Amino acid sequence: AAGSSGGPGAPCRHHVQLEACESRAKYREGWRPRAVKVYTINLESRYLLIQGVPALGVMKELVEQFALYGAIEEYHALDEYPAEQFTEVYLIKFKKLQCARVAKKKMDERSFFGSLLHVCYAPEFETVQETREKLQDRRKYIAKATNQRDCFVLKKVEGPKNTASKNTEQDCPWSTLGSHVASNWDPPCFTSSPGASHNIAYPSGNQNESLLTSPHYDNNCAESSGYFDQNTFLTPSVHPGGHTPTASLMQQRMVPAYNGIDRFMPRTTHLQERKRKREEGNKFSLIGTSEDNTEVVIGPQLPEIPKVDMDDESLNTSATLIRNKLKEVADSVSTSVEKPESSSAKPLVKQRRRI
Amino acid sequence: MELGRLEYLQALVTEFQVTDSTEAKEQVLANLANFAYDPSNYEYLRQLQVLDLFLDMLTEDNESLVEFAMGGLCNLCLDKTNKEYILEANGVEPIINCLSSSNEETVVSAVTTLMFLTTPRSRAQTTALPVVECMLRFSLSANRRLSNLASIFLQDYCTPPQVEEARNLSKHTAVGIPLPKD
Repeated sequence: AAGSSGGPGAPCRHHVQLEACESRAKYREGWRPRAVKVYTINLESRYLLIQGVPALGVMKELVEQFALYGAIEEYHALDEYPAEQFTEVYLIKFKKLQCARVAKKKMDERSFFGSLLHVCYAPEFETVQETREKLQDRRKYIAKATNQRDCFVLKKVEGPKNTASKNTEQDCPWSTLGSHVASNWDPPCFTSSPGASHNIAYPSGNQNESLLTSPHYDNNCAESSGYFDQNTFLTPSVHPGGHTPTASLMQQRMVPAYNGIDRFMPRTTHLQERKRKREEGNKFSLIGTSEDNTEVVIGPQLPEIPKVDMDDESLNTSATLIRNKLKEVADSVSTSVEKPESSSAKPLVKQRRRI
Repeated sequence: MELGRLEYLQALVTEFQVTDSTEAKEQVLANLANFAYDPSNYEYLRQLQVLDLFLDMLTEDNESLVEFAMGGLCNLCLDKTNKEYILEANGVEPIINCLSSSNEETVVSAVTTLMFLTTPRSRAQTTALPVVECMLRFSLSANRRLSNLASIFLQDYCTPPQVEEARNLSKHTAVGIPLPKD
């Protein structure tokens, strides 16, 4: 028989947590101890295996935690997988490989309800078609990433000419069998995410990310995930119809952990985020909030009728200034204790005058 | 110590060449192989002749070095320039030899790399009869990762006559490329 008993649900060699390497030379030592391991597209997967989950009936919390990193397609306990006493093993399938990558990176070795999680990829759960698509996505990604540099250089020259020659070389095996890859091949010149920004020594196998890259990685999540599937990019990440009953719960709890998953956030949360950023950054209050703090406002604040007339212009001015200051302080305090659930329940937008 | 990207990669390559420690060699090679995943590094890696390094390591006795080098090639071979370089350097042959490794990761990387390296010019080599026959056996493996990849190889990179020919061959000969062990 070949390899390990690599059927789904059985322990595989690539699930084993390797010991961290102790003997690295200083210049290539990262922030976190890492094992010596190479990550290829074969090892990475939308499927993640999570070991070390305390057997406390915390599946819901576990899934919610992982859902912060992207839409989850499936999840269930793996009852037959060998587990340490008092722990359980779960399988979580992300909709996007990119999200699985980030979730793994962030959640591996994290404490969860008092227990250390061990998160690894579980590609043996993939169907043939899923593996095929994974490889195709990788192909597309490289094509776009490397073509992009050509784009900048060759903007004067016609793009299609180079594309055509690339097509015959790289995609000919496909053309005899079907043109579905070739048709996806039109290389748009991505202006939104310049190739230069992909200066990430990634995946996280034994990368010295601290030296070169980590600040960029999170921001690139959204952009590089666009490479994988441009169409899915634009649709909301959670489709209640296709999900388990806890999907709505996930939708509410999808507070962004970082900028990278902006585009996967449900619309209400996105608006909420924008509003919060606006409020925090805006001292000069061209855009303000109304008293109940749930409105999205656009445009400059209309002059209010003074609440108290002191019969003296200067006194009124002072009173107004004080009132405004009090309101400003009150706004900033109430914004910080605002809960996402309650805000999304209220209707938004009593719009102010637009410019 | 702050190092630029190229300098850092250069330091890795230098350490690899200079060190006596097997452990350090393995670490550095794995590090380079992971860097090979990101296209923004390809120019540097070519400059530093890391592609040659990976190819050279495929014939080493040290199983880990072979595994990491094969992984590195798998990571970077989709890039057109890298692909051409590997093909020009007769890289297909040592990669095919990796199919007989007892190391699961090495074999899996080799299968994928052969797929990625298949072009109209190279497919005579990458889908040669012994390779197709090997893939046929892999496709029946209990190892899901391996069987998936082998199935894709047969379905997407081989013609039905090729598969048929390999099927007939395996009926008549016992010689072939062995499956990887645990």
